[in-house]
Amino acid sequence: MSPSRSQRPVVICMIEDDEGHARLIEKNVRRAGVNNEIRHFTDGTSALAYLTSEEVAGNGPMLILLDLNLPDMTGIDILTILKNDERLKRAPVVVLTTTDDKVEIQRCYDLGCNVYITKPVDYDTFATAIRQLGLFLSVMQVPDA
Amino acid sequence: MPSGVSDASAEITPETGRVERSEITLLILGFAALVAVGAASVWLVDRAADFNLQAARTLETGRQTMQALAVAKDAETGQRGFLLTDDEKYLLPYNRALGEVDGVLKKLGELLPPEGEQRTDYEALKTAVTEKLAELKQTVELQRAGRKAEALAVVETDRGRLAMRDIRNVAIRMEERENKAFADRSSSAATASNSLLFVVVLGLLIAAVLAFFAQVIVRRQTRTLSAAQKQLESANTGLEAAVVERTGDLIRANEEIQRFAYIVSHDLRAPLVNVMGFTSELDASRAVLKDQFDAFKKRDPGLVTEDARLAVEEDLPEAIGFIRTSTAKMDRLINAILKLSREGRRVVTPESVSIKDLAEGIARTVHQQALAADAEIVVEPETPPLVTDRLAIEQVFQNLIENAVKYLDRSRPGRVVVRGKRRGAMVDYFIEDNGRGIDAKDHERVFELFRRAGAQDQPGDGLGLAFVRASVRRLGGTISLTSEPGRGSTFLLTFPAAYRPQAESAAS
Repeated sequence: MSPSRSQRPVVICMIEDDEGHARLIEKNVRRAGVNNEIRHFTDGTSALAYLTSEEVAGNGPMLILLDLNLPDMTGIDILTILKNDERLKRAPVVVLTTTDDKVEIQRCYDLGCNVYITKPVDYDTFATAIRQLGLFLSVMQVPDA
Repeated sequence: MPSGVSDASAEITPETGRVERSEITLLILGFAALVAVGAASVWLVDRAADFNLQAARTLETGRQTMQALAVAKDAETGQRGFLLTDDEKYLLPYNRALGEVDGVLKKLGELLPPEGEQRTDYEALKTAVTEKLAELKQTVELQRAGRKAEALAVVETDRGRLAMRDIRNVAIRMEERENKAFADRSSSAATASNSLLFVVVLGLLIAAVLAFFAQVIVRRQTRTLSAAQKQLESANTGLEAAVVERTGDLIRANEEIQRFAYIVSHDLRAPLVNVMGFTSELDASRAVLKDQFDAFKKRDPGLVTEDARLAVEEDLPEAIGFIRTSTAKMDRLINAILKLSREGRRVVTPESVSIKDLAEGIARTVHQQALAADAEIVVEPETPPLVTDRLAIEQVFQNLIENAVKYLDRSRPGRVVVRGKRRGAMVDYFIEDNGRGIDAKDHERVFELFRRAGAQDQPGDGLGLAFVRASVRRLGGTISLTSEPGRGSTFLLTFPAAYRPQAESAAS
């Protein structure tokens, strides 16, 4: 992830309304050795405002961690907007949420989500899953925005 | 709508009842009249036949009376001729009359009543005829003996003439009486037949009136019936609509509850992740501190206070341990609610399931537990199959059989029997055990979520039976329990032999 062709580091945009979850995710991603910048948003509106801003447009590659249960809109709405955006549609989206409903999972993949991960309630499993995600992030290629 | 139904029925019943009673009374009266008319006409016809018979008898009596007179006259004619001519051939009428006289008199005697005026006259006639014939015989015999003068002398005594006069008088009197009687009888026969005619016409009239009324009644009844039927139909339609509406309400309420359970359990999960996560973080931090603490202690034990040692070595691990077990339990409970709500949302896919094979398969999976409890699991070979959702029914039997093995009484060899019986469109399944049993007051409670009964010496969260009941209801069945503490329990499952998607189809 870090050796991007344009030499610009990938920014991880985390949209997660639960501060605790966000902190736990960040801790475990860091433990996997991922040191990229993580921008955290607790609601969909501010996250979309950031993602569609001029600042981001010239800011290089982007990876989005998305929770489905948000206070102002659903993650599905955000996913739909992202995948219909000319510039953002190639940014990989990792849905990381508590919902393990089959229909919901299918819908996310249909809308173009790249990875769907259910947050395990058991913390050890949770930590392992996030660390593995971090390892995954560290090797994946992200296209320039 | 149901109020409309009861109103309609209350409206119909008493009125129809009253109408029916009066109409039935009317009809009964009409039929009674008809029967009376019939009886009267039978009686009248009988009487007319009687009149005719008597009239015929009267005519015959008159005829025979005249015949008696004629016979007497013939005999006299013959005698006169013989006396005048002395020629035997003139005696022919006399001889013939002699031959007939007894028969005629006998017949007349039979026709007449044994006593009374008629009999007196008859006796007189008979005497006169006998007297006349005696006189005739005397003269005829004298003439034959050649004593013509003596014969004529007998004739001149007027004995024969007087006898003849008596015969004529009596006969005429008798004939007149018979004629009169005949006239009387004819007139009463005419009256009788007139009355018969009248009665028959009356009967016809009554029958016509009856037919008219019967027709009116039948029409009215038909009208009332069809009106009632219409009301019933509309009531039924209303009832169906009401049922559909209520079913819809229930389904919506049920869906709401399931959605609620789903959302609640999901939303409860999120903070739980934090509690568990940060507890682990806390524990990790504690481990770091503990290492540091141990290092300090090793270097300079005097630096470490007793309170600090207790906090690091006992209080913190204990607190973290309790948080962990509680959150783990909470997680199980939330998962149970989630599972229940998910089971309610799951689409039922009916297929033919051999409950016998299924139960035997489950028995194999709990074989080890059964061995440990010195128990056997018997699946009766004639356990009937079922058309239902395989996964759901398997979970139901799995829970019940596992429970039966889990709660056996260790003081005696265990025995779990699975059997079933088809009952019309339904199938009953029994899961019987000789285990510890369930107290009667807990028979409902054991089916409730998170509730358990009896000695709490086995692990469990009180989920199994709640889940079983939810699944059984989902499959259109019912579950009930009979049990006696210390003797064993029997769970009775009743399912339709083939699963019918009831609520969903009614709603859509």
